[in-house]
Amino acid sequence: MPIIVEKLTHTYMPNTDNEFVAVEDITLTINDGEFFGIIGHTGSGKSTFIQHLNGLMQPTGGSVTVDGFDMSDKKQRAKGRALVGMVFQYPDYQLFDSTVLDDVSFGPKNMGLDAEEAKQRSIEAMRMVGLDPELFAEKSPFELSGGEKRRAALAGIIAMRPKYLVLDEPMAGLDPSGRREILATINSLRDELNCTVIMVSHSMEDVARSAERIAVMNDGRLYALGTPDEIFSRTKELISLGLDAPQTARLAQELRERGFEVPEDIYTNERFVSWLKGRMNDA
Amino acid sequence: MITIENIEYSYDGALKKALDGVSLEIGDGEFVAIVGHNGSGKSTLAKMLNALLLPDEGSVSVFGMATSDEEKTLDIRKKVGIVFQNPDNQIVTTVVEEDVGFGPENLGVPTTEIIERVHNALDAVGMLDYAKHAPHMLSGGQKQRIAIAGVLAIDPDVLVFDEATAMLDPLGRKAVIEIASRLNKEKGKTVVMITQYMEEVIAADRVIVMNGGKVAMTGTPEEIFKRGNELRALRLDVPVMVELRDMLQAEGLIPENDALSVSEMAEVICRSLLKN
Repeated sequence: MPIIVEKLTHTYMPNTDNEFVAVEDITLTINDGEFFGIIGHTGSGKSTFIQHLNGLMQPTGGSVTVDGFDMSDKKQRAKGRALVGMVFQYPDYQLFDSTVLDDVSFGPKNMGLDAEEAKQRSIEAMRMVGLDPELFAEKSPFELSGGEKRRAALAGIIAMRPKYLVLDEPMAGLDPSGRREILATINSLRDELNCTVIMVSHSMEDVARSAERIAVMNDGRLYALGTPDEIFSRTKELISLGLDAPQTARLAQELRERGFEVPEDIYTNERFVSWLKGRMNDA
Repeated sequence: MITIENIEYSYDGALKKALDGVSLEIGDGEFVAIVGHNGSGKSTLAKMLNALLLPDEGSVSVFGMATSDEEKTLDIRKKVGIVFQNPDNQIVTTVVEEDVGFGPENLGVPTTEIIERVHNALDAVGMLDYAKHAPHMLSGGQKQRIAIAGVLAIDPDVLVFDEATAMLDPLGRKAVIEIASRLNKEKGKTVVMITQYMEEVIAADRVIVMNGGKVAMTGTPEEIFKRGNELRALRLDVPVMVELRDMLQAEGLIPENDALSVSEMAEVICRSLLKN
């Protein structure tokens, strides 16, 4: 069953001078197995929004239903939350145990699994994220590189076998190869586990490449929702909102402003090359 | 001028050297970008520039002062200021202007001059309107601008940005890069930009690529980004527009050129389309 968000509003410190509406009147459905991207600049309400998906925050208006569980209800929330794995920004700062395996198995143990099962699941999760258990299980988390730490943190969540994987800026702070590798890992996890991926990212290139649908948040509201083709055909609008757009979309826009007709679905380099080739051959 | 001669450095207990024979010179008024994958040694190198770390072997000289000379440490830090990655770790007071004045106050600068320096520093980063605000209420990008102002208030000749854009959103990153470029061009500050975002390297005069604690490549952005395959082998990449440029050149759709940015690419493609 999907995640259904209806008229979600969250107001911080209501009825005080500091009252602040962080998200307002958001209605959307995240389908099973979908790769769902969320973009928006700092302060647009993205973080507040995703914290409602695992019940860390509760709506002050409207509702969030995860797999049929109403997240406003205390008992149902516990069941819904168990299905949602949340990976926060810079999760590698949260590694604390003495070995990588202990760290990865912290979550599953906390779920009440016995030691042996927690270990089995953790080893499996390490394999899935590309950390060879033979090499890494007994290492100290402090010996890992930036990308390896990120993988270890991801494995800790995967070991809990979530149905929905919520990732807040999973590639932040990694080098270009690290970024590519983590994104490839997320895509392969989605195939292997059949889970829904909800990814917040500042990198328009990454979102354009991976997401099936994209939600654009602005000022606490859902500004736009659609496929990458639909969203990035509105590059001019995104830029005027102070949002980023893929660089290739910007290039296409600049050419339009110089009087050339460039189709609206050109926002990746591959598409740009085939468009220009066609155009040069036609002439 | 900063002169680095054959420095080596190992962190306690580490098997590999973080820096392994690095030599380079950074000239006055230069804009140098240092790139490299996670663990390549670039941040260790940054911390050598104002005596936060001292080399095990070799030497670092800042305007003629050796960083190993403890008596010169304070003078060196007046010359070279560092902006770090996490803005939250760099803010120490509850009011923006006090935070920016913290550095000069510690150096014993007279109060009237501190007020002037704080004003100028906040002006330079476009945050004058926030002088009386509480830093913790600001966005990450705004906090980072306050951190830059705090370094500027010390009036250093050299500004080092140690992955100062890594935790910011695209708007915040853009603002930091623009401020760095402006301080370099208009105020003549030497800028050392350490980053993993290849797009941020385009503004530099010179790029230094680090790998395994050594300098692997050096050249202008145009030169470096012609060597995409070597960069990828070092876990780096070329900017998106350079990737497109290479793809279009390979197809023979545009002539060989040095375009790096969106507007330069638009120019090249325009010319090709008009000629066609």
